[in-house]
Amino acid sequence: MSATDEHSSKDVENAIVRQAEFPIGIDLYPLDEERRGWADWYDRDMEPEFSALADARVWLVRIFVSWKYFEPQVGQYDEDAAGRLDAILDMASAHDMKVLVSLFADDRLAEMTDVPWGKRRDPRTDDYLIQREISLAQRVVNRYRAHPVVWGWELANEAFCTGFKSESDIERWTTMLRDAIREVDVERPVLLGVDPETLYRTTGVDARGAIDMNEYAVSHLTAPYRVYAAEGPVTSGPATYLEGFLLRAAARDLPVLVDGVGVQSLDFSLAEEAASIRTSLYSALMNGASGVMVRRYRDLETEKREPYFRDPFEVLVGVADVEGEVKPSLGEIKRFARVAARVDRRRYQPAPERVAVLMPAERYEPLPSLAGLYGPRACLQAYIGAKEAHLPVDVVREGDELGAHHALIIPSAMKLSPGTWSEVAAFVQGGGSVVMSYGGGDTDPAVREVFGIEFLGDHGVRRTVSCRVAQPGVLGELCSFDARLELPHFALLGHGGATIVATDATGSPLLTVNQYGQGKAVYIAAPLERALAQGDPWAAPAAVRDLLRTVYESVARAAGAGPIVDCDTPEVEVAVFMGEEDDIVIALNHSPEAVTAMLSVERVVASVADARGGIPADVGGKTFGVPLASNGAAALRLSYS
Amino acid sequence: MTARSSQVLMAEGLARSEQVPAAVEACYDALAVNDAEPFAHCLLAHLLLEGDFYDEAIAEATRAIELDPDCSPAYLALGLAYDRRGGMWDQSVLVWHELAEVVPDLVTAHVQLGEAFAAAQFEEEAIDSWKRALELDPKEARALYNLAIAALKREGMATALPGFRKAGELDPSQDDLFFALLGIRSAPDRAVDPAKVREDRDSRLGAAALAARADDLFVTAELVRMVLDEDPDDADALALAAFTYLKQEAANEAMACALRAVAIKPDLATALYTLGVVYSRRAGLSKHAARVFIAFTKAASQHALAHVLLAESLLGLQRYSQSKKAYRVAIRLDPACVRARFGLAAVHLTEGLHAEADWEVRRAAYYDTRRQGLFWRLYDEYAEGGAS
Repeated sequence: MSATDEHSSKDVENAIVRQAEFPIGIDLYPLDEERRGWADWYDRDMEPEFSALADARVWLVRIFVSWKYFEPQVGQYDEDAAGRLDAILDMASAHDMKVLVSLFADDRLAEMTDVPWGKRRDPRTDDYLIQREISLAQRVVNRYRAHPVVWGWELANEAFCTGFKSESDIERWTTMLRDAIREVDVERPVLLGVDPETLYRTTGVDARGAIDMNEYAVSHLTAPYRVYAAEGPVTSGPATYLEGFLLRAAARDLPVLVDGVGVQSLDFSLAEEAASIRTSLYSALMNGASGVMVRRYRDLETEKREPYFRDPFEVLVGVADVEGEVKPSLGEIKRFARVAARVDRRRYQPAPERVAVLMPAERYEPLPSLAGLYGPRACLQAYIGAKEAHLPVDVVREGDELGAHHALIIPSAMKLSPGTWSEVAAFVQGGGSVVMSYGGGDTDPAVREVFGIEFLGDHGVRRTVSCRVAQPGVLGELCSFDARLELPHFALLGHGGATIVATDATGSPLLTVNQYGQGKAVYIAAPLERALAQGDPWAAPAAVRDLLRTVYESVARAAGAGPIVDCDTPEVEVAVFMGEEDDIVIALNHSPEAVTAMLSVERVVASVADARGGIPADVGGKTFGVPLASNGAAALRLSYS
Repeated sequence: MTARSSQVLMAEGLARSEQVPAAVEACYDALAVNDAEPFAHCLLAHLLLEGDFYDEAIAEATRAIELDPDCSPAYLALGLAYDRRGGMWDQSVLVWHELAEVVPDLVTAHVQLGEAFAAAQFEEEAIDSWKRALELDPKEARALYNLAIAALKREGMATALPGFRKAGELDPSQDDLFFALLGIRSAPDRAVDPAKVREDRDSRLGAAALAARADDLFVTAELVRMVLDEDPDDADALALAAFTYLKQEAANEAMACALRAVAIKPDLATALYTLGVVYSRRAGLSKHAARVFIAFTKAASQHALAHVLLAESLLGLQRYSQSKKAYRVAIRLDPACVRARFGLAAVHLTEGLHAEADWEVRRAAYYDTRRQGLFWRLYDEYAEGGAS
């Protein structure tokens, strides 16, 4: 083979293994050792990092500009800093990689935004400092605007944005910085590196307005949010659905970059780190992300001190150890990149999400209302229930457009606005289906009209969920059971026209269904999703989870929003990318146990092949088994007869 | 006694009756009147902790301690919130240390301090704390479990197993299981008088079981003897006799009675339980114990502890994957089963799953501390101006 042939075959391989619409990236932090200072900003040989990343088919790196290093004195810019940045961009270019430049970031180590002449004024709100930030941003952008290696500009990362105190402050800052960049570069995307949900949880600031000013949204699972929403092991249970949930919640007419992929502390074994990264990457691809950014390349070498100190912004753990030896996680990224490259968005379209979990606006209520704290957890449990029923599910917020969906889940909401009630009523009347569970307190008069039930009062706390099926088959194959689960509320319901599908042990309605207009309205008399979230989600009673899953699936099917691919294993998440001639099905095992999932499709499958290539296996039927290792994933190309 | 505002008293009442949303609102009402009210902040911390809202609980507990450094219930809430949130072990060590000084006889403070030390990789200090807890209360099962886990990490399962067995023997819920199988939930209010028991088999057996529940083993033995005099092959009576012997550490007699009962009624849960427990306490009979407990879990499948006993016997045989399955069933049936959580943590450690093991230990700690209702004890003492 001649050198030219070799080169061209490599180009072809690169073309296949890189998907321009789905960047796979990683953060390269300025410092990899805690003992080093801010002036050591990227003062290291980065060639091994770029080589390893290019080999793993990572083609986007995020670089963090240090304001302190670039502008040591007011208006005086350090040429060494620019030189170092030039060298990084040249190195990225040499490895055929792209760079996302983060302009104002905080990593709690390199003091990047801590300019000594700032005199402790807040760079987020102080007019003078904002003007200096604009100058720096324009200087950097202007220098590299013609450089093809730059993929985009990130205004700030989440750690920096946690300093904002109000919506108006973050919107003002974003507007000014974004406009300043747009004066110089009108092409490359600009983004604000914050997740609206996690930032709100941390600061109480709703950044959605600021995010919407940009070209990309970001979904970023932080360590505190993980503890809040899905505390526990990272490789099993609710935690493995959390990134998908946040991604769905962040997607609001903008492409979403899933940021900060990877474990958040050094507590985990290498195998656990790899399993966590695998789950996050596949979850991102399956839930419609437009790219992924892995948390860090090299582990941070911390000072030798005890007790072990964890960085509050969780940038400790990378895909290579402190010696630079790559971990199994990088292998996972490489394997994932090959899969992602084959899911060509121009050829394969993700199956449309016809089911939505509605996050009520009460989520934004501060204490003493507990709705703001309960809401996201209940929504996560509803999302998991829908995923376990293999429904193509989305997360919408109260006030968002419902028209694209056929079925709606409103989990354990205490109240909805009158406008939302009108929308829900119109939605059901127009043929949509809705499942709502009681969230406590008085119910809206619309409940009587839409759900056909009379609210008689709250029976209060119960320690047991009892279900006695009165109408078998009406809402799927429900079973009677008694399960130990603390219910904070139980609505006593009177007859208002709805069919009682199941009752509690005393005959009080637990589950009702009402035909309203052309659609179905199902009411659950207890906040089951909240009870699951507030109990022990890792040891939730199987019977209660089965009930939710069965109800969701039944309602979605009735509305024409059932699973595209059926699966007999609830813990296996399935996503379908539909093509003209064939489909790609991705299956992800959320359990730490190996399973063989039986998938069923509507058409006869002629053959199944690994999406990355390989010999097709003949099927000749509508059902086939997919063996999945613990936390394993499989991407299959389905050819039909 | 420290004066509390009427709003605080109202919040307190609501919190005690588990009306969380209303109690939170009442706390805010109290703070609207007086923002420097440590009771309100402390109550709020407890309520938010009950809802697993750790960051909010930390903020409120910290504020209560700022307002009154002797507010012991706030230390408890703060320490628990730090532990459950994770990643804040250094602060957690300080808080538990402080609480152990403020309330020196609080055993749980020493156990929690040990767990915080262990999480911060201070193994020696952790072991010292658990030993201190055992000095205060030799029956503190959680300290024993933690010591067993520490032994497992350092020296392996062979060293850890005796610790697990000893902790299991201290578990009072094991007797509860036996009586639950007989349909008895609590001890009788009055002592059983054999002279007043009707002279039929069922009445005698029922009274014998009640007497056993009240630890009156002489009466139990007398009533059981009467039943067996009439029918020596009464399996229920034999099982109860076996239990009575077991309680008196007469293992051979217990084994003989239980074996006879099982021979007569192979699926009698009480007999299987007693036989399994006797086997599990005898060296070299672990395999027999596992077999009996397999049958026992079928006869008492809805009892979490039945699966725990099976899991423990399998652990002794080093059949870790089977043991894990049994522990998981137990936790599914009863998430608050501390014994199952620690056992599962041990299995995870044998598989190298350290993060999962840590999670189970943390969950065990959570349920164990919650079960004790310590907050209200400390709160009442603080309100009375007692321990603080």
